[in-house]
Amino acid sequence: MHKPVPVPDPTSEAYWAAAAEHRLALARCGHCGRLTHPPDVVCPHCLSTDPGFTFEPVDGRGTVRSWTVLRDSFLPGFAEDIPFVLVDVELDVQADLRLIGRLVDGPDTPLRLGDRVVTVFDARDDGPPVPAFSLDPTAEGAR
Amino acid sequence: MSDRFAARSQVAVVGYAHSPVRRHHDVPLGALALDTALAAIADAGLTKDDIDGFTTGSLLPTSGGHASVDGVSVVTANWLAEHLGVNPRFCAGFQGFGQIPGSVTMAVNALATGAADYVVLHRALHNPPRGRYHANPMTRAAGPMQWVAPQGYFGPLSMIALPYNEYLQRFSASRDAMAAVLVEARANGARIPWSYWHEKPITPQDYLDARVIAEPIGVLDCDIPVDGVAAFVLTRADRARDLPHKPVYVAGYAMGSPKRTRLPTHWPLDDIMEAGFEIRRRLEDATGVTVDVIDVPQLYDGFSPFVYFWLESLGLCPVGEAHRFVQEGIDAAAGGLPILSGGGALGNGRMHGVPQMLECYLQLSQRAGDRQLASATVGLACHSSPHFGGAVMYTAEPL
Repeated sequence: MHKPVPVPDPTSEAYWAAAAEHRLALARCGHCGRLTHPPDVVCPHCLSTDPGFTFEPVDGRGTVRSWTVLRDSFLPGFAEDIPFVLVDVELDVQADLRLIGRLVDGPDTPLRLGDRVVTVFDARDDGPPVPAFSLDPTAEGAR
Repeated sequence: MSDRFAARSQVAVVGYAHSPVRRHHDVPLGALALDTALAAIADAGLTKDDIDGFTTGSLLPTSGGHASVDGVSVVTANWLAEHLGVNPRFCAGFQGFGQIPGSVTMAVNALATGAADYVVLHRALHNPPRGRYHANPMTRAAGPMQWVAPQGYFGPLSMIALPYNEYLQRFSASRDAMAAVLVEARANGARIPWSYWHEKPITPQDYLDARVIAEPIGVLDCDIPVDGVAAFVLTRADRARDLPHKPVYVAGYAMGSPKRTRLPTHWPLDDIMEAGFEIRRRLEDATGVTVDVIDVPQLYDGFSPFVYFWLESLGLCPVGEAHRFVQEGIDAAAGGLPILSGGGALGNGRMHGVPQMLECYLQLSQRAGDRQLASATVGLACHSSPHFGGAVMYTAEPL
């Protein structure tokens, strides 16, 4: 049973192409210059209807704002991974820019709000690597 | 006051009916909806020929990819009108998540403007007979799902687990504290004849022993999927006075909406709370009634953490204190703040905002029987998360 494979489309193909090279690339608005994720029809910051998003590599470091440990899954392919941790991360690169991904350090990892993480990539057999997170070993107070 | 709701106290709820709530009914959902609507019309002292307006929110709230078939798994306002043999002047569905307050806004606006004279508002909920409610067989994640499903973030349990854990961590609260909410919801649901949980109260230990699915969300933090239908009849206040039951007046309403683009089903705690604070301001502006005088504040509880979020964002207890407040403060039978006196969704089954609206109606019309509260003058019926839902204020007397 395979996990859901991302299907790139014109709004996302640059994101997944970068992920294939283990780089996190996010959409920057050509009008106001701010990042947004996921890219929408309009820029959520300046409301431009012609945001002309370009994807550019960003620093994948961030801060844990919440997490959940999944002990059941409602999607194919995750049964063998249970339990696993998903973290809600605010990236350093822009205030309130949030991503959700797996924490690859395991379900017993002690976590606190404010823990520092780095973006890593979760390899898949049948699709592009999927952005995920790991506790930042270089962070002050890292355990 | 320019923000005061122009239709304040002009519309009243005048009757209701509720089907038995079961995991699966042996009749089609549409048939259950027709019988329930007819019972509500009769309860209001009317016949179907009097009804000229219909409204509902018909969403099937599962992420499991089950088909929405009108009359079978959902029942739209148009389907109900057509199959009752009524050609209504007003017929509309609410598209958002706060289906009950959303439907009430449409009914009130239609009645106050004369677009209809008697409106049936119904909600039909369905539990698909096959497959898990939220399990989805997707193998390809296209469109919005590509941003979350490949990492396993999917569905409403993960959705609520993140802001709930954010709450627990921020305020150093224990998930065990929520046992008080479940015990109260189920104690009240156990007294309601149509409830799925009729005569089935639970103990705090039952809650603590229940399976955890998406930490800190366990199976008992979620309302149980059911087949069930409720219907209400609303009309203008001048017409309501001639009907058999004491009218319950709509004082006003307030809806919330998300302010930021987020990943699918990503609901950070601050997004939820910010909308809740705004709903309180809008409600007080619309009605001229402050929340401290609400004596029947029915909070939404489809997932138990919503009880904390509504308690705090409405100002019924200080921010960060709900997990303590519920330990002593919400036992309706002992004179506590009756936030779940109608059992809520946790005590009735997944009837969405119906238990909250119905409890406001039953208490304020003095029809709550042996559950009747000593003081029932101002009710509030909340539904959904504040940032996707809303709240309707009811009064026993016109303002």
